Amino acid sequence: MTGRRSDWLHPAFRLIEGEDVFVWADLAALPVPAGGILQADRPSRVLAALAAAEAAGQGLLLARGAADPEGWQPGQGFTVTLESSGTTGAPKRLRHDFARLRGRLRGAAEDGARWLLTYDPGAFAGLQVMLTAAAAGALLVAVPGGGGGTVAALAQAARRHAVTHVSGTPSFWRAFLMALGDAELPLAAVTLGGEAADQPLLDRLAARFPHARLRHIYASTEAGSLFAVADGRAGFPAAWLDDAPDGLALRIVDGVLEVRSPRAAPGAADGEGWLSTGDLVERQGDRVLFAGRLDGLVNVGGVKVSAEAVERRLLAVDGVADAMVMAVPSPITGHLLTATVVAAPGADEATLRAGLRAAAADLPPAARPRALTFADHIPLSAAGKKSRKGPQ
Amino acid sequence: MTDSIFALIAEELGRIAADKGEVLPPLTADSRFLDGDLPIDSLDLATLLVVLEQRTGQDPFREGFRQFTTVGELAALYTVPA
Repeated sequence: MTGRRSDWLHPAFRLIEGEDVFVWADLAALPVPAGGILQADRPSRVLAALAAAEAAGQGLLLARGAADPEGWQPGQGFTVTLESSGTTGAPKRLRHDFARLRGRLRGAAEDGARWLLTYDPGAFAGLQVMLTAAAAGALLVAVPGGGGGTVAALAQAARRHAVTHVSGTPSFWRAFLMALGDAELPLAAVTLGGEAADQPLLDRLAARFPHARLRHIYASTEAGSLFAVADGRAGFPAAWLDDAPDGLALRIVDGVLEVRSPRAAPGAADGEGWLSTGDLVERQGDRVLFAGRLDGLVNVGGVKVSAEAVERRLLAVDGVADAMVMAVPSPITGHLLTATVVAAPGADEATLRAGLRAAAADLPPAARPRALTFADHIPLSAAGKKSRKGPQ
Repeated sequence: MTDSIFALIAEELGRIAADKGEVLPPLTADSRFLDGDLPIDSLDLATLLVVLEQRTGQDPFREGFRQFTTVGELAALYTVPA
């Protein structure tokens, strides 16, 4: 790898990864991934691979272990390909040019900023946090382990290094508040993203960290970073439908939010630049509020899962006469998938439980149905359909 | 008194841990859910709340989140039928 420091990496930047500390020279000494493919499980390796791919003018795939990277081609020029964390079939890969990935980052250094990485380093949101800290010459604190480490380990690291900037999903924040207990944390910035932020959580965060700037951001892998809302209220101002910030245009078509963004991935939008977000929204007074997904996906702790896809798996298990997978609201993870199963006559319950568990074993933990109950029949709605959504 | 809710929480947490091949350490009212005392993550805690609702018919979070960190604080959110 080249010894020249990338211009997006501020000389003062430091990374603490578990017990290891990295400055630029340490990152530059790390091995370069073969074929432009990196298993993106450590921020140190991701940053080193980004610098190497940029220096070589080559593409980089940040793989997350979900699919076989065999056959992937780096292509011409420096690009970064990310894998989505979706649970409905093969993960989507999306190629970004680096300038667009950095789009909304503002390099204004804040003295002594100490960031906590709560996201997966191969995820779009994780990359945004890492690049922000790197550009600002901040300290980045990371914990080894999938998904940015366990909440307990993250809370310990946050206290130990007195982090000042934390960005995470609403589900992360609910768990983090619990893990933190009454511990003091000198937070200057509290950022939420990846799921719709609800008002009770925003209120709790404002009360718990009264001196922190509280923002929730709206972004997607396809559309890039879209906007940040800083008034402490859920949703976004309805006035933005006429006049949106940051070069964006927003509109609601059939209840779905559409965006036109200079930061959208190439090819993702239609001929006029509009891109459907797939997010259902409702206008309420001076506010636009998020109301779930058009495709029926629900967000479980920041992971979009399909109750129907999981249900189809359970229905295929030997000894299952019928099954319903339902998303119920959860104060901890936003939603949770639960399963009700009707056993075929003569089926052994212990065998059935083992079969059901095996049928979901290769799904991400968020997509595995919990709180399995057995019933005589599946109740149907008036329309004769399984009523999949739990009571709201 | 919340003794029976405490016992219910202990039973269901034990089951959730056993499903993952973990063994729950002895539970006290001061055991903290998510700071590393117990071998559970936030999905497990979300599961516990769903199961408690199924078994008690109560959802203390219906009107919004109520802060709890320990097993005893959670138990206190449920009322025990006489």
